Amino acid sequence: MNKKDNLLKGIIKENPLFVSLLGMCPSLAVTTSLENALGMFLGVFFVLVLSNLIISLIMSNKKLSQLVKPVRIPVYIVVIATLVTIVEMLMHAFLIDLYLSLGVFIPLIVVNCIILGRAEAFASENKPVDSVIDGIGMALGYGMAIMLISIFREFLGKGTITIWGTLQLDLNVIFNFLKIEPISMFVQPAGAFLTFGLILAGITAIANNKKNKLAKEVTNNG
Amino acid sequence: MNKGLVSGLVLLTIGLVCGILLSVVNSFTAPRIKLEEDKIKYQALEEFYTLADYDISEYEANGAFATIYILKEKGQSDISALVYTVSAQGFAGPVQMLIAVNNDLSVEDYKVVSHTETSGYGADIVGNNFGVSEIDDLAGFDAVSGVTKTSNAIKECFNLVAQRINSDLGGGLSE
Repeated sequence: MNKKDNLLKGIIKENPLFVSLLGMCPSLAVTTSLENALGMFLGVFFVLVLSNLIISLIMSNKKLSQLVKPVRIPVYIVVIATLVTIVEMLMHAFLIDLYLSLGVFIPLIVVNCIILGRAEAFASENKPVDSVIDGIGMALGYGMAIMLISIFREFLGKGTITIWGTLQLDLNVIFNFLKIEPISMFVQPAGAFLTFGLILAGITAIANNKKNKLAKEVTNNG
Repeated sequence: MNKGLVSGLVLLTIGLVCGILLSVVNSFTAPRIKLEEDKIKYQALEEFYTLADYDISEYEANGAFATIYILKEKGQSDISALVYTVSAQGFAGPVQMLIAVNNDLSVEDYKVVSHTETSGYGADIVGNNFGVSEIDDLAGFDAVSGVTKTSNAIKECFNLVAQRINSDLGGGLSE
């Protein structure tokens, strides 16, 4: 697999959220605003890229990998937990509003299946450069997915899109024009599942459409 | 050497490296975290004083009082002002106030920080001027008409502070 495909697979083909359905719990919980989703993305990006790099560096050394293999899962957890704690400390120190808003979901990045999954499935068996590219692709795919969910939820639920701090798009004019109120259910847990289901249905419909077209072309050519 | 033992030692070494890394990050984030947390804690006090000019310490009192903030001008050992978190029973529940008193017993400012009074009645106390400028002289206390019980709770808060302020300024607060 070349580097471009390695990067793109995480964004589209193997999107961790919409295709592999991994790390759903924090994703649905924090997507009440775009700002939260951006914060979560930054945290996951930092942890995923660095954990892939460190684990790949450890496992690509033949001697060291032989020693680590029997205890590899605890080693992954120690590395990932350290990186998550660093993210938590940095957010607490420099982005306190975001830290308070994300709350318990920052330490919960430790148990995010995407990170441990990529460490075991990719980083432990590939070179450091490829592992970093894989981490960037997967984190971008995850980030784009949660940002898409949060834009839907925040717009439908509050009529706004909060980009960062006070930088906010007020789209209530659309609701005023339609003479309806924002549907607050969308910023509640039920709205998260509904939004996720609708986006997933849309993606599946597009994928099926593509498959059918391809099958038709093959039949016509055959 | 036993393979399991070596693997355990490798895990221990990685754990130690991670611990050192965390302590390094903690060394530069901890002061900043404390600063940010203090900022949130002292947000209410900032409405009374420019906090950058003062060293602030806290005293946890009991009874009607919660935290008492002790403000000393930077580099000074004498108390410049005390800010009391004090509560008294209102009409529907306790009314909690912050009362800032300077060392000359003048009242710098006060604020109702929480209450459970009825909206439109007792709730009118928030932001009201009760006409108190000296903590030892409540003769001019201006109650809100129609909400006697709530006004009494406010007056009680000032009274409670007045009863202890001299002792507190005289060293009654062990930090």
